[in-house]
Amino acid sequence: MRAAITVFLKEITDALRDRRTALMVLIASILTGPITLVLVAQFVSGLEEKASILKVRISGQEHAPALVNFLQRNDVEIEPAPKDYETLVREGRLDAVIVVPPDFDSRWLTGDGAKVEIFYDDSRTDAGPAIRQAERLLRAFNRETGMLRLVARGVSPDLVEPVKVDHVNTATPRQKGAFLLFLIPMFAILSPLLGGMTLAIDSTAGERERGSLEPLLANPVPIGQLVVGKWLAAWIFASVVAVLTLGGFVIAASLYAGKRLAALMAFGAPEFAAFVAVVVPFAAMTSALQMLICTYGRSYREAQTYVSYLATVVSFVPVIVLFTGMKDSLWQLAVPVLAQQVVLGRVIRGDTIAPVDWLMPSLMAFVLAAVFVALVARLLRDERIVFGRA
Amino acid sequence: MIEVVDLAKRFPMKGERGKFVEAVREVTFTAPDGAITGLLGPNGAGKTTTLRMIATLVEPTRGTARVDGLDGHLKPNEVRSRMGVLSDARGLYGRLTARENIAYYGALRGLPSAQVQAMIGRLAEWLDMGPMLDRRTDGFSQGERMKVAIARALVHDPPNVILDEPTNGLDVMTTRKLREVVRRLREGGKCVLFSSHIMQEVSALCDSIVIVARGRVVASGTAAELLASSGRDNLEDAFVHLSGETEAA
Repeated sequence: MRAAITVFLKEITDALRDRRTALMVLIASILTGPITLVLVAQFVSGLEEKASILKVRISGQEHAPALVNFLQRNDVEIEPAPKDYETLVREGRLDAVIVVPPDFDSRWLTGDGAKVEIFYDDSRTDAGPAIRQAERLLRAFNRETGMLRLVARGVSPDLVEPVKVDHVNTATPRQKGAFLLFLIPMFAILSPLLGGMTLAIDSTAGERERGSLEPLLANPVPIGQLVVGKWLAAWIFASVVAVLTLGGFVIAASLYAGKRLAALMAFGAPEFAAFVAVVVPFAAMTSALQMLICTYGRSYREAQTYVSYLATVVSFVPVIVLFTGMKDSLWQLAVPVLAQQVVLGRVIRGDTIAPVDWLMPSLMAFVLAAVFVALVARLLRDERIVFGRA
Repeated sequence: MIEVVDLAKRFPMKGERGKFVEAVREVTFTAPDGAITGLLGPNGAGKTTTLRMIATLVEPTRGTARVDGLDGHLKPNEVRSRMGVLSDARGLYGRLTARENIAYYGALRGLPSAQVQAMIGRLAEWLDMGPMLDRRTDGFSQGERMKVAIARALVHDPPNVILDEPTNGLDVMTTRKLREVVRRLREGGKCVLFSSHIMQEVSALCDSIVIVARGRVVASGTAAELLASSGRDNLEDAFVHLSGETEAA
């Protein structure tokens, strides 16, 4: 173990002296949280603003006095749509426009299938609230008119609405926030990859490219100890960067305390502690894996390429979870990356975490870390890897 | 003492399955203590591979290399601790100072820090590297790098020293310094094995010479013996003659 500690201390010293890289990584990791949360907060508050003020844009409101009357009774602000609303919607400068054709009023009065159009582009997510609002208001207008007409004919309105639907949304504000804050788990998972990268490359492919691997291996030290020392250093760096990244999120979230968004941004000390507990074992695995693939790299550059592929693959997992709407189940806890994503997602939703939720992914991470470290040691015993690939 | 018996190494040929490169075919020699043995041969003769096998970095396909009677194949770590190697690759850590580079190897070998620092002081005096000891090595010249690499290989005061083409790319002053160090090592009773493709280098320094060509020992002995056996009147002709014989064969 003595030699492993010697290697560990040397690698840490060496990496810390690489001031520019170290600073870049540190600054990037500290700033990730605040920048992300500010953007998310802007986005969320933008959505809420759009939804809270009842406002519709209508083209041809003069053709629909009844609709205008209904909207005014419901405190909806009516704004006439500009002439070139079609282009504006296409360009994304207008969210939704209700278009009333000239023959609306006459058809409406005779009950002859009066039509309006809602003009929108639903590929823009931030147009969603305005679109839904226009739909909702038109539906309400429809219902009111229909009921009044039934009542006028002596029919009970309950006949057309046998089931009354009341919306009860069970999502707590926190859970609504979790949809957007799937980003925090993602950054928590990617940060150790960023943090361990430089050291993993430098201590494997870099060591060979520099020509210091051969003399290093000529020392009477078991190769396993050399690899363990290097891996410990990469793990520490990965963990420090992860902790800093998460710390950045805590600070950013605390800036929103007391505001309306505070409920969405609940990421305080307990969540931070849970995240660190999940991410640090995970970092043990990622740094070992990075070292393993870098040992295959023929040069520093090649290793860099491999490592960035790894980061890409890892960053896909949260996206897959998001888009497939995967249900939580036990097997996921055994799959690295997926397990961390699932558990961290639960933490941030405020769900309870069972011991197995932490134990299983962490155990898996440590087992894999040990396997990867052993594989690196084995590769370094291979003459073709040490000499044949320079 | 280093004893090499019938050493051979073949590597799989790159890109071609089932084909092999015979890097070393048959190398046998003994390098005694208190003497400088020169391994002389043209580029690609198998010198570096032979030295790597002695240093236990490469597993021989056949034959044995023994250091102080210990078989490197069976007891690699014992052999490594009795040996200082200036290998073909001699990269330093650029962000560490010369002193830290040397001390790292001392610490890896488990030597107490005080002993390492004392040894660094002594080697710095030998190699004339006092002023550069506490500078980072990334700005070093080739000669300065070489000095650090040599000091690093000698930090544990090994009884056996392997130097693989140590004078490559060095200026006259550094080469002289290096020769001085090698002679000091001999005076200290060490076994020094020194490889080079430069005739003058070897004849100026070595007590006995082993000429290697195409993976085989083609001649060995003192400079005078080699002259006599080749029937030439200077060592360069003798070398060309001796190593040329295998090319014809």
